[in-house]
Amino acid sequence: MKGQRLAPWLLMTPALAIAILFFGVPTLVMLRMSFNLHPDGRLYVPGFTLENYTSLVSDEMFLTALWTTVKLALMSSVFTVVIGYFFALLVWLKPARWRMLFIALAVCPLLISEISVIFGWWMFFPKNGLLSYALVSSGLLSDKISLMYTEFAAFVGLVYLSLPFCFFILLSIFDGIDRRLLESSADLGAAPLRTAYEVLLPLTRAGVLVAFAQSFIWTIGSYATPSALGPDTLWTIGYLIQEQMLGKHNWPKAAAFSMVVAAGVAVVMMLIRRLMVQKGAFHT
Amino acid sequence: MTLATSIQEKQPARRLRRGDLDRRLLRLLGAAFTVVLVLYIAVPILVTAVMSFNDATVIRFPIHAWSVRWYDDFLGSPQWVDALKNSFVIAIGTTAISTTSGVLAAWAFERYTFPGKNLLYLMIMMPLFMPGVVLGLGVAMAFGGISIGGTGIYGSRGLVMLAHSLWAMPLVFMLMEATLRTLDMRIVEASHDLGGGPVRTFFEIVLPSVSTGLISSALFAFVISLNEFVMALFLTTRDTQTLPVLMWLSLRSAGTPRLAVAAVILASVVFLSLLVIMGWYVSRLRKMRPQ
Repeated sequence: MKGQRLAPWLLMTPALAIAILFFGVPTLVMLRMSFNLHPDGRLYVPGFTLENYTSLVSDEMFLTALWTTVKLALMSSVFTVVIGYFFALLVWLKPARWRMLFIALAVCPLLISEISVIFGWWMFFPKNGLLSYALVSSGLLSDKISLMYTEFAAFVGLVYLSLPFCFFILLSIFDGIDRRLLESSADLGAAPLRTAYEVLLPLTRAGVLVAFAQSFIWTIGSYATPSALGPDTLWTIGYLIQEQMLGKHNWPKAAAFSMVVAAGVAVVMMLIRRLMVQKGAFHT
Repeated sequence: MTLATSIQEKQPARRLRRGDLDRRLLRLLGAAFTVVLVLYIAVPILVTAVMSFNDATVIRFPIHAWSVRWYDDFLGSPQWVDALKNSFVIAIGTTAISTTSGVLAAWAFERYTFPGKNLLYLMIMMPLFMPGVVLGLGVAMAFGGISIGGTGIYGSRGLVMLAHSLWAMPLVFMLMEATLRTLDMRIVEASHDLGGGPVRTFFEIVLPSVSTGLISSALFAFVISLNEFVMALFLTTRDTQTLPVLMWLSLRSAGTPRLAVAAVILASVVFLSLLVIMGWYVSRLRKMRPQ
């Protein structure tokens, strides 16, 4: 039937139109823009130069930013996965009546805007913030302290924002495991830690990978949290893109930065997909 | 248990005590972990809620006097109320656009076979994984100079809705694809056999059967758009600024308790819509019970 063949395409038209017009076309525009020239005082001049890319390799500032971003993303993703793993494990092991409560707890940060979370920590860490007040008034410290504008503050904010996604990915993996496996492992004489290492970990490896990738990608692209909570010297790539675009009005360079990030995200996604296929654990 | 008992019998004292200690230690660790986690998640929320009732003009702990003056201040400021309105309008628009397009595409993927399915799936899902900075920049560059009928589309609410749909639409698509997979295809065949055309079947059989998934994914789209501010930062002007964008800009200049009020109001809109949806869901369950 002719109608049958046409129907899926008609149904997909709106979704594809959005993806192509507002993601595909802009990506091509950015790709083209990244080869344009940027003489002083103008946003861009059409031309063809590789300078925006070659300058990235020689640009000390960009390389530092890249290193900072990757380091921060790796560190916070590892932490997010570890915390998320224990959180999911706990919810999985707890009796059902606790489950909804914990899930509601995990959903909370998801429903709150990133800006509100930033602002919340922004009131917690500084000298006149809650942390300092709590520590001084409880007698633990004699002087006010400020953890604001440190890498630690940025790290706390980033983990907070990516934790819920990680938790739900891992919980869905745990839910697919037969809990009786733990009992049989214990019955066979394995201590809890050995059970965790030899039974649980291998079964959840794919989920850990996905959760890590998700968290890593999210952190790589983040700009608001590290720039609002972290030190002035913490230049993530997201921050540099924003600065080139809105601050320095250097469109070609902002586009080149973006293309690097987009390529990085695509590579990480493909790597993970390949790993999953090899493990044969991910199949939809 | 028989194997365990036999092992314990062979090496009674040591094995038993160690296992017991392990278990007690683990339980203690679990409890400590839970407390820290609950505190961690609660801190920024509670700090904000408390600060919104502060009477002072600076953000400072301890709080000496309480009042709702910053709520009055927020509601009396046209700039902030307009931002809230913009956020709401844009979120509603994003929900409409992304739910419609996402559901239709999910139905196409579930019901039909066609060439290039994997590639198309990737095309639809890809924007969801792209950072907001990249998406916002791309849309701003591609549509910054284009105008329709003399008015530029840059800075319009419509453009922000479509940009937000880049995240909301794949999400709806993904959720609805999973939901539609649980649908019993026999009722669709039955509808066809009874003479229902594909369009009528879709609206009268398919959609009502997956209404819970549909409403949840629409809610997700709404919340994403309401809270998003990096794309909106690139795409809005002073007139179309959303509340999170205004919050971000004013955080960069100086933080006042007004920001805490804005955060509380933003979160209230989200939780209220969640409550409405849950109320709808409960009443639906109740209606279904007598049958």
